Amino acid sequence: MGIKVDPKKCVSCMACELACGYHRDDGFALLSSCIMVTRGREKKDYSAVVLKEEENLVIARPEGLEIRKLGSTGEASSGREKEDASAKPLLLREPCDLCGDREEGPLCLQFCPVNAISMN
Amino acid sequence: MEYLSSNKIAIIDLGASKTIQKELDEDLVKEKIGGAGITTALYEEYRDEDPIVLGTGLLTGTLAPASALGMVTAKSPVTGKICHAPFTLYGGVELKYCGFDYVVIKGSSPKPVYLWIHDGIADVNDGKEIWGKDVWISTDMIREVMGDPLIQILAIGKAGESESDFAQVCINYWASGDRWGFGKLFGQKKLKLVAMRGMSLLEIADPEGFVRKCKEFLSTIKSGPYAGKGGIGELSAAMGEDIRQWLEPIIHRHLSCFNTPFPTNTFVFLDEDPKLLKETEKKEPGFLITDVHGLLGYKKLGLSAAEACDLLRDCAKYGIDAVAVAELSQKAGKKKPDEIKKSLSGLKGSLESVGKGKFSPWAPSFTLSSDEWERRQAVAYLFGIHPIYALMSPEFSEEKLIELANLGTGLGFTSETLDKVIIDILK
Repeated sequence: MGIKVDPKKCVSCMACELACGYHRDDGFALLSSCIMVTRGREKKDYSAVVLKEEENLVIARPEGLEIRKLGSTGEASSGREKEDASAKPLLLREPCDLCGDREEGPLCLQFCPVNAISMN
Repeated sequence: MEYLSSNKIAIIDLGASKTIQKELDEDLVKEKIGGAGITTALYEEYRDEDPIVLGTGLLTGTLAPASALGMVTAKSPVTGKICHAPFTLYGGVELKYCGFDYVVIKGSSPKPVYLWIHDGIADVNDGKEIWGKDVWISTDMIREVMGDPLIQILAIGKAGESESDFAQVCINYWASGDRWGFGKLFGQKKLKLVAMRGMSLLEIADPEGFVRKCKEFLSTIKSGPYAGKGGIGELSAAMGEDIRQWLEPIIHRHLSCFNTPFPTNTFVFLDEDPKLLKETEKKEPGFLITDVHGLLGYKKLGLSAAEACDLLRDCAKYGIDAVAVAELSQKAGKKKPDEIKKSLSGLKGSLESVGKGKFSPWAPSFTLSSDEWERRQAVAYLFGIHPIYALMSPEFSEEKLIELANLGTGLGFTSETLDKVIIDILK
């Protein structure tokens, strides 16, 4: 069981990122989220939703889903430079735990305003 | 100020090229709530030094729906009044997280400068390399120099540098809600741009209570009349000027500002197939429409959607208010894109579309009376709620916002506090 993202529905509002950050830090911050909306290609209007799972990096792009095994070739460059333009690269963060300590399940799913996130 | 806050104010003296920091006094928050309440108080405190005050609302950057708002408060060169202009997208949240809730920019610099505000540090840097560049190039240069494409930037273009009355402070590459000529103020101060980036942590007085309440509000909103809709065309339709069919062929997608349930922005592709899903090879394929009024202004001139959006792009690069350009073009009988483009430099005239109050007319009035619109804007600018979204979601009531503010800060705000602050800021 895991989180599934429909990037065509995503409006890049970052609510999932902040909800995940809250789950990690008990405050509002964006540095610990294991889900993020890539915003580095603003002029091209191109973004993806990237999720770090226990064993995989899931990249939900508008044109299709890519799943990379963590530790595989190419992971570092794409994870750090292209998809993940952040101060703390996603690969250095804790993987998704599906908000296991929360009765209502993952917070990112609950805070997505356009229902772009669901459970697999 | 312990909660929902970075607890700091930066006071930047452009004349002396120095910055000092002050704590954000909790008593000031209790009295003025936040946002426009505090930017107005700071403006008054530094009034003699012609300040520009940047600020965020009490709930900006939180899980409160639509908590996207940052604002510029200053004396408008257009109206002569103290006014507030919104900046949304990711600008408000970035200011909140960069270590300062408020930034007072006072005095004038003798030479071009820019501000680099990040992680609790506010530096005045030499701006000679970017002075003379348009908004897009300036934004690219700063992001490249700093090595971070997520830096959020409030910038002026050549309109601001030449002190045009219609100069706008843009957000990254796009138009903002600045209808007050604040771009001219930036230019007069030789302030080319403000670059913001931060990674703060905002603490919450009652974390689980706050988040639970945010979730309840979002749940109500998701079953509201705008659920499943989005984009600048929907805004126009709600205003009674439906441009959805006219715009549809060039729409790439609709985008939200930070944590805003309704996407109020629309990205159009002008030099690329709008249906393209994968990343385009083109460096600058289109434009993000953030202001419905500018678009409507060009449509009234009889332009195609592509011509109108191309002009919006030129206005944003030049850093000039597209609404003013459209109105003055109409008055001058200019209806061809090329002649309108040529008129950006040295544009003069008087406008009828100027806002009459404190808040930018960027947020449409929809079907509200002017008093209702003004009160709702005041509430949005105090709490940091997207000003357009605040008008679209009456279910996100004043009582609910006060309840959230109290869960977040533990400060015990009341409806009487809110009434008093609104009266103060509308004076």
